[in-house]
Amino acid sequence: MALLEVRDLHVWFALPSGRELHAVKGVGLDVERGELFGLIGESGCGKTTTVLALMGLLPSSASVAGSVRVDGADVLSGGEKGARAHRWTETAMVFQGSMNAFSPVKTIGWQIAEPMEIHGVASRRAARARAGELLELVGIPAAAARRYPHQFSGGMRQRAAIAMALSCEPKLLLADEPTTALDVMVQAQILELLQRLARELHLTVVLVTHDLPLVAHICDRAAVMYGGEIAEVAAVDALYHESRHPYTRMLFAATPELLGGKDVTSIPGSPPRLDQPIVGCAFRPRCDSAVVRCATDHPALAEVARGHEAACHLNDPATGVLSVPDAGQPAGGAG
Amino acid sequence: MRSGTLDYVVKRVAFALVTIFIVLTFNFVLFRLLPGSAVTDLSRVPNASPALREALAREFGLASSKWDQYLAYLDQLFHGNLGVSYVNQQPVWDNLRTDVANTVPMVALGTVVAVIAGITSGLVSAWRRRTPADYLLTNSAIAFYSFPTQWLGLMLIVLFGSYLPTTGMTTPFQIGGSFWQQAGDELQHMILPSLTIALTLYGQYTLVVRSAVLETLGEDYVLTARAKGVRTRRLLTRHVLRNAMLPIVTLMGLSFGYIVGGALLVETVFTWPGIGLAVYQAVLQRDYPMLQGAFLLLTISVVVFNLLADLLYARLDPRVSG
Repeated sequence: MALLEVRDLHVWFALPSGRELHAVKGVGLDVERGELFGLIGESGCGKTTTVLALMGLLPSSASVAGSVRVDGADVLSGGEKGARAHRWTETAMVFQGSMNAFSPVKTIGWQIAEPMEIHGVASRRAARARAGELLELVGIPAAAARRYPHQFSGGMRQRAAIAMALSCEPKLLLADEPTTALDVMVQAQILELLQRLARELHLTVVLVTHDLPLVAHICDRAAVMYGGEIAEVAAVDALYHESRHPYTRMLFAATPELLGGKDVTSIPGSPPRLDQPIVGCAFRPRCDSAVVRCATDHPALAEVARGHEAACHLNDPATGVLSVPDAGQPAGGAG
Repeated sequence: MRSGTLDYVVKRVAFALVTIFIVLTFNFVLFRLLPGSAVTDLSRVPNASPALREALAREFGLASSKWDQYLAYLDQLFHGNLGVSYVNQQPVWDNLRTDVANTVPMVALGTVVAVIAGITSGLVSAWRRRTPADYLLTNSAIAFYSFPTQWLGLMLIVLFGSYLPTTGMTTPFQIGGSFWQQAGDELQHMILPSLTIALTLYGQYTLVVRSAVLETLGEDYVLTARAKGVRTRRLLTRHVLRNAMLPIVTLMGLSFGYIVGGALLVETVFTWPGIGLAVYQAVLQRDYPMLQGAFLLLTISVVVFNLLADLLYARLDPRVSG
């Protein structure tokens, strides 16, 4: 049994206009124990919404359907109260805005110790001592626990946020863009730290990012999201070398390489609007290999190889070769 | 104490002292710029001769130059002498002491009630934003905040005048009675003026607290705290209110500063014999020493409470003093 099992997860946001925005559309995920799993996609594709839903942290304007199981236990069925019991003890999170993840008026140590106290993991004294140890684990002197967030640099704050996430020894760590707003050197250090901790503490990590090389570098498997759905999920190598979804392929083609070995292409167009129904494939307007069928049929996620799933009609032998690309769409990118 | 903190405290205190001195001078100049003087009023009798006017001016020390008057004022002030009231010939300090003693309990009661109620309702309306509870609290706060104080006071008299005393501080001609009976009587008289002050301030606090809390609720650290499994009550007090209190502390400093200053309008409407009413009457009678004394007291009180608010702010926000 996978540690994290997400089945048919849907999230709708009620818009002030009275309409609904269908942000996450039937996402399913299986993340195995000890795995470093990447969740990739452009801004607005629903990846952050998905991870917030995993902890039951979405605002009250959101309605959620589907099931989320962490280590077999259903997270969403018990409402806010039920979800609270799982928070931090089973699933912890390093946030996108970790720079501001600390309250400015409390010491770092107080904030790292807080979840241990409220979940009864440790007494106040023990929790404070443990906060110091956790800071050392992420490479910050234990004495810094007495300092306030504004006395930390951005990189230190991000490390401290990771230390805080580990305080109740969670099974699952969700990291939402943990390196944005940090400079490249610090980014590398933080990722190395995450990788090391995952290995040493047998953590399962879900890394949410739009940074493909980062995923390719540290993750075992990854899922590519587009328009609130999973477009493709596979081992990172397979995603890169044998992608079975045009979006994945174009996404990798759009990533510059350090040594400039290939031309960088951009993906024309913009992500679909999620506040209106989409007919057919959500990626069709931007796809360089769309066929007639894509305009009317919604492609389902299907296994294309062992441990490799993709949602694209091109993988279906029945789509046939008679189909022609949609002539009205721009083909290819700048390259 | 860290050197940064000490530095901050010294700076704040020095700033407060300079402010008091400037206001003190301003007070002196202001009243002498007004047309007429106490003598104009007192000599308004049939057949008042220039000689009478001169004699009166000399008696009140208004015959010497303005500069000499200013120096004399400062000199006496540093010796603790606020002068003698032109109206009742009593030392100003004695007059003020009685007035302040009457004012403080009434205004303090209203202010404390308003601050507690306002913080609570601001917190609730922000937490339950865009629900009927929020609309009710916010709209009533806007209404109370925008009513003119004297009008609100008059409306309370109209509504409750038949159940509660509306003028003065004690029931006239009620002699004797135990201490508790007298205290109870005074408390009854206090209800309407205190309530007027409380309602006006309540509106202000609700609105300020609501917007401060709303801003804090959107902060990343609040989401982090929820993710950590912090319960609603603890979330609101330890994480949200603790941060939202920072701007509110400044406002509280201002409100508490005005406790001593009294509420001129409220005291006038309810003829509460406090410092607000005394100022109102002193203005009518051009009683300079009384006005100077009252304004000095108000200045000191506002400056001191602001200073306290600044120091408290530094305690609450580690970013202020580094």
